[in-house]
Amino acid sequence: MSFVTELKRGIWTDNAVFKLGLGLCPALAVTSSALNGVGMGLAATFVLICSNVAVSSMRKIIPSKVRIPAFIVLIATFVTVVDLVMAGFLPGLHKALGIFIPLIVVNCVILGRAEAFASKNPIFHSAIDGVVMGLGFTVALLVLGSVREILGNGTIFGAGILGSSYIPALLLILPPGAFLAIGFLLGGMNKLEASKK
Amino acid sequence: MEKTLYLSSSPHVHEGGTTAQAMRAVIIALLPCVGVWFFSFGLQSIIVMLLCILGCVGSEAVCQKMMGKPITIADGSAAMTGILLAFNIPPNSAWWMALLGGIVAVVLGKQVFGGLGYNSFNPALIGRTVLLISFPVQMTTWVMPRTHEITSATPLSEVKMAVGLHGAIPDELKSQLGSVLMGGFGGQLGVISGFALILGGGYLLYRKIITWHIPASFIGSAFVLGTVLWLVDSSKYPSPVFHLFTGGLLLGAFFMATDWVTTPLTPKGMLIFGTGCGVLTILIRIFGGYPEGVAFSILLMNAATPIIDRFTVPKKFGLVPEKG
Amino acid sequence: MKELSRLALVLTVITAGAALLLAMVESVTRDPIAQQRRLVTLNALKSVLPPADNSPDQDTVSLVTGKDKKGNDAETVFYRGRQGEDVSGIAFTVVAPDGYSGNISIMVGIDPVGHVSGIEVLQHAETPGLGAKVEESWWKEQFKGKGLDNADWRVKKDGGEFDQITAATITPRAIVGAVRRGLEFFKAHKAEIIGGA
Repeated sequence: MSFVTELKRGIWTDNAVFKLGLGLCPALAVTSSALNGVGMGLAATFVLICSNVAVSSMRKIIPSKVRIPAFIVLIATFVTVVDLVMAGFLPGLHKALGIFIPLIVVNCVILGRAEAFASKNPIFHSAIDGVVMGLGFTVALLVLGSVREILGNGTIFGAGILGSSYIPALLLILPPGAFLAIGFLLGGMNKLEASKK
Repeated sequence: MEKTLYLSSSPHVHEGGTTAQAMRAVIIALLPCVGVWFFSFGLQSIIVMLLCILGCVGSEAVCQKMMGKPITIADGSAAMTGILLAFNIPPNSAWWMALLGGIVAVVLGKQVFGGLGYNSFNPALIGRTVLLISFPVQMTTWVMPRTHEITSATPLSEVKMAVGLHGAIPDELKSQLGSVLMGGFGGQLGVISGFALILGGGYLLYRKIITWHIPASFIGSAFVLGTVLWLVDSSKYPSPVFHLFTGGLLLGAFFMATDWVTTPLTPKGMLIFGTGCGVLTILIRIFGGYPEGVAFSILLMNAATPIIDRFTVPKKFGLVPEKG
Repeated sequence: MKELSRLALVLTVITAGAALLLAMVESVTRDPIAQQRRLVTLNALKSVLPPADNSPDQDTVSLVTGKDKKGNDAETVFYRGRQGEDVSGIAFTVVAPDGYSGNISIMVGIDPVGHVSGIEVLQHAETPGLGAKVEESWWKEQFKGKGLDNADWRVKKDGGEFDQITAATITPRAIVGAVRRGLEFFKAHKAEIIGGA
């Protein structure tokens, strides 16, 4: 197992959003700008790494009958840590992500990795898995956020790039735009995949 | 197709009409309106219309090619969507808006569902709605007919504004509204040429492309509800005649609410559909956030069509209902 | 029975550990969060008030300004900016209930004469790209120096002198109305606001 192949797995072949279809709620809801996407992605990555390590290190002592409540308690703890730290030190981002930070608790990516990977693998592997899956999630949100911000607002990370003559298509930064954008991105990825074979 | 035994359920008698013939009839029925459109808004409006058609037909061909399906642009359904779309956007729209509207209508409104016959929403209205939400400023900037003066005021938005501001329609506006019927006000096709629309609708009825159920119940329910509100308080609510001849009500009732694919199949279902459209239109116009509600009401009823169909299944001939 | 108590024990240990971690993080972030909260108010106050050399958020007076939904008295906090002993400006939050989408809360700064020294949109849920443009400074600037005596408090479309935003009249109309009501309250209760303890 090399880190590069793992990274490729997290970002492309097993991408949480685009391939596994997990964590779609935050992926659609917060990606009205590239910055929000990255912020949400990194926050989720941090929680994912912590919860993977914690779950993996306790995998032998957590009885399988109570593993789900145990995982959720661990995840909720790390989410609250992120929430508090962000409120204290990154208030701007905290305001933009708002309700979606506490909702990382129910992000299926995190519980999914705890259940499918961390509870069966050693700590180091689980940490790596957290890193690559988290990065994959972040990349997905970044792509989605960028597409929506560029087309819907004419900017990327807040900087205008399409010039003043471009009239932004507001639809893209409104909720329906999220569904349309992810639909076309998924279609494009599948097409690319199919043409490779 | 391979040679196999061909099985199909009844009815087995085909009347001989094709999609292409029906679409051609609809396009012919739209011609008087196109004429009024050109007369009112000039050459520019026809260029916008052509761009809409180009967007629709072009993207239909590209989509079908990409999906490896036979290309059916010759059946005229995409062209018809383009014409209807053009009536739904300002005649002075920018070229890219018209083109984009056409592409959105066909790609998002029709082809992603599998093409003609599989879409649940009226493609032209999808195009209009996407443009309206994306470019509200451009989509609400209209030109006055003939004088080509730019305005954002349509009769409907004027009434809505006035009621919101003063709680009543001022007298000067009321007298101006009289000229609506003559076509002296900015706005969509329906305002200017109810006559051309009725003519086109009549032709479709005569050719039996559409039945009377949807237009009659749409217009009728809007008229009845409009009358009731008007009788309750005529200072606040515009007259039912005004409702009929402004905005896109006639266009919607004859040409968009009667789309075969997205509306109920049985006469009973059609009556429910049309009534729903009419009631929703008046409710949105008077109580909603937008001045015009025809497009939204038709889309909402499109969404309700499967349910309507389910509850209006005709009784099988000779069936005796089971005693409960 | 033995298994059941083991399950309970493991879960208890995990939750206790989580609680400990959270307590630690909370104690570290408590002050920064409080500071950030205060900073948000202070920044808003600074941008709407005329220059002041005190801390306006600590020089306040609360007055009953209306009723809440349950019929209880609703209070508004009035922040006073001072230069030396003299009151240089008053700031308070007004709420426009008639926006396009939900309540809009606006911080209004008023100089002692009764002219607006600045407004700041604190919270809103207006459509991005349309109503949300009221956050832009060119729009907020036009309130400066205007009072009940020297301005027609309506948007231009309604015959007043405040710019609306193309294709979005409802939001500016709501805000102009809310600020006007704030000014009227100030005029009627000036003595209590400036002199009250």
